[in-house]
Amino acid sequence: MTPSNTAPAPSSDEVVIEARNLSKVYRDFWGRDKKAALKPLNLAVKRGEIFGLLGPNGSGKTTTLKLLLGLIFPTSGEAFVFGRPATDVAKNERIGYLPEESYLYKFLDAEETLDFYGRLFGMPPEERARRAAALIEMVGLGRDRKRQLREYSKGMTRRIGIAQALINDPELVLLDEPTSGLDPIGTREVKDLIIDLKRRGKTVVMCSHLLADVEDVCDRIAVLHQGELKELGRVEDLLRVTGVTQFQARDLAPEAYDAVRKVLAEHGASDVEIGHPRTTLEDLFLDVVRDTEARPGRRAQAAATPAKPTGA
Amino acid sequence: MVLEEEIPKFAAWFGPAVLTFLLTAGLVILFVGLAAWVVQAVRDGPLAAGDRVYRGVLTGLQDLAGTSPRRVWALARLAIKEALRRNVLVVLGVFGLVILFAGWFLDPATVDPGRLYLGFILAATSFLVCTVTLVLAVFSLPADIKSKAIQTVTTKPVRTGEIVLGRFLGFAVVGTVLLAIMGLAGWGFVVRSVQHGHEIASLDVREVRDEEGGLTGFEGRTGPGRGHRHFLRLDADGNGIAETFHGHRHPVTARSQDGQLVFEVGPPAGILEARRPLRGTLRFLDREGRPAAKGISVGAEWAYRQYIEGGTAAAAIWTFEGVGEDEFPDGLPLEMTVRVFRTYKGTITEGIHGTVQLRNPSTQLRSEAFPIVAREFTIDELWIPRQLNTVLADGGVRKADLYADFVSDGRVEVWLQCLEPAQYYGVAQADFYLRAGDGSFAVNYAKSCLGAWFAMLIVTAMGVMFSTFLSAPVALVSSLAVLLIGQFREFIARLFTSQVTGDASIAPGGGPIESLYRIVTQTSITLELDPTPAVQAMKLVDTVLLAPMRLAAGLFPSLASLGTGEFVAGGFDIPGDLLAAHAAETLAYVAAFCIGGAFCLRAREVAS
Repeated sequence: MTPSNTAPAPSSDEVVIEARNLSKVYRDFWGRDKKAALKPLNLAVKRGEIFGLLGPNGSGKTTTLKLLLGLIFPTSGEAFVFGRPATDVAKNERIGYLPEESYLYKFLDAEETLDFYGRLFGMPPEERARRAAALIEMVGLGRDRKRQLREYSKGMTRRIGIAQALINDPELVLLDEPTSGLDPIGTREVKDLIIDLKRRGKTVVMCSHLLADVEDVCDRIAVLHQGELKELGRVEDLLRVTGVTQFQARDLAPEAYDAVRKVLAEHGASDVEIGHPRTTLEDLFLDVVRDTEARPGRRAQAAATPAKPTGA
Repeated sequence: MVLEEEIPKFAAWFGPAVLTFLLTAGLVILFVGLAAWVVQAVRDGPLAAGDRVYRGVLTGLQDLAGTSPRRVWALARLAIKEALRRNVLVVLGVFGLVILFAGWFLDPATVDPGRLYLGFILAATSFLVCTVTLVLAVFSLPADIKSKAIQTVTTKPVRTGEIVLGRFLGFAVVGTVLLAIMGLAGWGFVVRSVQHGHEIASLDVREVRDEEGGLTGFEGRTGPGRGHRHFLRLDADGNGIAETFHGHRHPVTARSQDGQLVFEVGPPAGILEARRPLRGTLRFLDREGRPAAKGISVGAEWAYRQYIEGGTAAAAIWTFEGVGEDEFPDGLPLEMTVRVFRTYKGTITEGIHGTVQLRNPSTQLRSEAFPIVAREFTIDELWIPRQLNTVLADGGVRKADLYADFVSDGRVEVWLQCLEPAQYYGVAQADFYLRAGDGSFAVNYAKSCLGAWFAMLIVTAMGVMFSTFLSAPVALVSSLAVLLIGQFREFIARLFTSQVTGDASIAPGGGPIESLYRIVTQTSITLELDPTPAVQAMKLVDTVLLAPMRLAAGLFPSLASLGTGEFVAGGFDIPGDLLAAHAAETLAYVAAFCIGGAFCLRAREVAS
């Protein structure tokens, strides 16, 4: 079961983000067209949903996010966030943004970083301190709060980047490759966080080329390729394979397989496959780590100890 | 000190200055708006361009109106932290080294050590602080844009104006702290450097006796100290002064030791002062005693000082206003600097003799003549007492009162004449003044540091503005270019006027092309070029080239004009009107640069 299945459906039809024929062409110094990063794009994101922008490198995902944030200006078309033009600074009061590489000030430590961004929202000192402490704990940087970011690993930088994106408890969170640089545990935590944000009624727009991440958390996705929107819809609908039916059962004895095949054949089914489903590598890894943390050494001992001969 | 232009009253200066500022700002905005429209129109058509420019200006103004001091301060704190973590305080070590080397290499035996030390310290302080803040300012924002850290800031509810203002404020705070520390250290260095004393050996002092053989005093010389000695003039008790030399004097006191007088020389006086002058207006009489617009020019040189011929009726006349008993109850402390132009050498170790007289501007009553001896490069003091003599038409002398007989409605004239034929006195309006009082030297020094502070603020704001749309090295070079042009703005203005009017005497040598031609052909700048068609064409091109330079020079700041070190070094109190004008000018430049920077940053994409 994917985590998204446990999250409630979008709670509102209110459109939070809207792109109307939004396009971006990068130009050279002389104003000549250099690269069409985004061809006219039309999409709308509703309040409370997790929306994924999916596509290979250079497909226009980040460009779309930057246009929505007003970091770059559209060549044509318009973008609206909370009904305001994307270039309107006031919209940023309700937005959290995690850039692709957690571009932060390396000479600040974690606390100073969150304090700085909190000040930009005009948060009172007590609230800043409280929120910063909570976020630092949430992203697991409690022991490293006083270290300058220049000393952080990529994963740690990503975590503090996520914390700064949430400092203002935003209604809309825009995440650019949120799991980039994170280990599987961090990846899972971020995905859980995204789902938790949705649970709290937040809208999340994330872009990623990691298909599993998008599939795990997103309600709807837009697939971009070469700057063009290729697919747009609910994940379930897009991934549903029509004409194929899947059954799952726990503790079914192998002896029952033939009976099942027989019943299916009677109903005209073809290409029947029966077997054990595979878990994902991510789930296996997380199981190993959690188990090892709960009972240190057990798996290692089990692997290292040769099997005793039976019946000796 | 040289004061080429009269310092206007701030209240009178402010109105026209604001009008000029608004007019200039309006023209610049119009020009920039037009340029932006043209660029946009080429890409998107005239209507879309007009719409974009209009919306850009409108939202830009809305953003400026929504500026939050909290966010500005948050960004300023960030800039301060950035500066500190870039080890900006190292510059204090550099300043320490500068002082160390200055102590070794500055010559304390110079004619005016106070001026030398003060000039050096103020220049070094200003240079270091301005350089540091300029470098911080031009490198900070481009570094943020390059590292993309700016993206996490601009996606918060932060206006571009707040980013620009925050940077400026942060680096200005850093510069202010550096300036305060350097200023204090410099103050200690200067005061310590000019302090000195002299020994007086009994062999160097001789008794002065009257005709009856009675002791009337002592005269002689002090021992050497800081490369100079003073002449002594002491009373019969052995008290008096070591006369002014190298811009200072020393009090001398005597005490009896083993039945003998032992002289003690006090600390230097007349150095590191802050005189408050009451200045008058200057006019001239020619050699026949007729009013003249100017004095005599003694050659093709700087026309600041005009000369009067000795042994003739030529005179330089200052009219002082606002002279009253309340300000000067005991008499008039007249101080003067008189330059000398000799047509024959004479006794070179002696000054040129002349006289100073008072005259009532209403009754024309003249006082007796006070003899003076003009020496180069010193400020001579003349005390005009309350009771003085006046010469009657019959040659008789009668007693007169300064205020009753010579001051009329607070006005009094001071006449200077040179007595020696074929020698000349050179004077400017600022050379004669009544010493209306003294300010604190420490406060005056602080005021001078304020000049460096103004310069630092302008440089920082300019650096931040350029960094909003240029890469760091280009922003640095651009800032330096603007400052360089600003330094020469008066010359460029003169050059342009000379070019337009064809009056080569204003700025000989011509514009850039003509200058190049003269260099290549080794033609002196004083030689008129034949008005051939080629020369005419050259001059025309020069005028075209000079026009934008003249415009730029009028807009760009001149840091030199904000400097008030000359006042402090010359021992004059910096007038409040001048400081207020400098503060207003600084505010105008800072506001213009910050608003310009905000619009530039807003108009660009901070991500790519």
